[in-house]
Amino acid sequence: MSGGLYLFAVSRGLPEGALSAVTGFDGEHLRLVRSGDLQAVVCAVDLAEFGEAALPRNLEDLRWVEHVARTHDEVVRAVARHAEAAPMRLVTIYADEDGVRRQLDRVHDDLVAALDRVTGRSEWGVKVYARPGEPPAAPAPREASGAAYLQRKREAAQARRTADEQVEHVARALHEALSGATVAARVLAPQDPRLSGRHERMIHNGAYLVPEERADEFQATATLLGSSRPDLIVELQGPWPPYSFAVLETG
Amino acid sequence: MTVTEPARATGVEPVGSGPGGQIALVDLLDRLLGTGVVLAGDVVISLAGVDLVQVRLHALITSVRSEMGAGMRVGDDCDL
Repeated sequence: MSGGLYLFAVSRGLPEGALSAVTGFDGEHLRLVRSGDLQAVVCAVDLAEFGEAALPRNLEDLRWVEHVARTHDEVVRAVARHAEAAPMRLVTIYADEDGVRRQLDRVHDDLVAALDRVTGRSEWGVKVYARPGEPPAAPAPREASGAAYLQRKREAAQARRTADEQVEHVARALHEALSGATVAARVLAPQDPRLSGRHERMIHNGAYLVPEERADEFQATATLLGSSRPDLIVELQGPWPPYSFAVLETG
Repeated sequence: MTVTEPARATGVEPVGSGPGGQIALVDLLDRLLGTGVVLAGDVVISLAGVDLVQVRLHALITSVRSEMGAGMRVGDDCDL
C-alpha cells in the first residue's frame, strides 16, 4: 500500500488541538501542514482507494462518493468553527507534506485573498420551487366551432409561455431581493430531480455570502419571500462553510 | 468566522434532508464538487484534468438508475 494526503481545507489562525475530536477517513488523525501563516488540514489516505487508478471507479459509486462528501464536510465544518477556512474541492490528493507545502507556497497570496473574502461571512443556500399548480378547474366549454377550438388551444399555449416567463421573472426578482444583504451571490445549476428526489420544478438555486451581522436580515428576507408567495416553496439552508465563495482569483 | 451546524428551517420550509436530519447529498455535492478552492494536486492526482461535474453526473445518475433497477424508490416517478 502506498499513502497519500487528502487536503480538506486551508485555514488561518487554527488553534493547536482544535481538531482533536475529529478524524479523517478510516479514523485517521487530522494533521496540519504549515506554510507561513496558513495551515493545510490533511489526513493520510490509502492510494489503493484514493489514487489515480482507483478514483475513476470509486467516483462511479454513489455510496463511496457520499461517504467521502460527508467526511469532507464534517472536517471542513470543524475547521470553520475554529478558524477562517477555505474549503478545497472534493478529492484533492497529494503525495506527501512537501507536495502540500509547495502548492500552498505557490498560491499563498491567492489563498490569503480568498480567506480575506470569507472572513466573518457565511454561505447560505436558497432553493425555490414552483408549487405544483392546481389542474385547470373549469371544464372546457363545448366548442361551437373548429375556430373556437383552435382559439382556445392558442390561448392555452400563450398562457403556458406567460407562466414560464413569469417564473423566470420571479426567480430573478427573488435573487435580487436576496442579494441585498449579501457581499456576493452565485446562481447554482438547478438540481437534477433524479438526485434530489423532488418533483416540484426548481426555479432557483442560489448561494449567498452573508456577513454574520446581516444573517438575521438575510433570513428574514427569505422568510418574507416565502410567505408572500404561496405558489412557491422557498427553502433556506445554512450557514454553510463558504464552499461557493472561497475561490482563487488566479490559479 | 464561525460556522455552526446548518440551521434547519427558519420559518420558510423544512429543508429537504435525508434520514436522521442529515444534509441531503445533492445539496452537499452542489458545493463540494461544483465549487471550493481548486488546487492542482501533486504528483498523484487532483482531478484537475477531469471534468468533475461530468464525473458527478455520470456517477450519480448511473448509481441512481441502478438503484431504481433494484426497486428502490427515488421519487422521480411522481406524475404531478
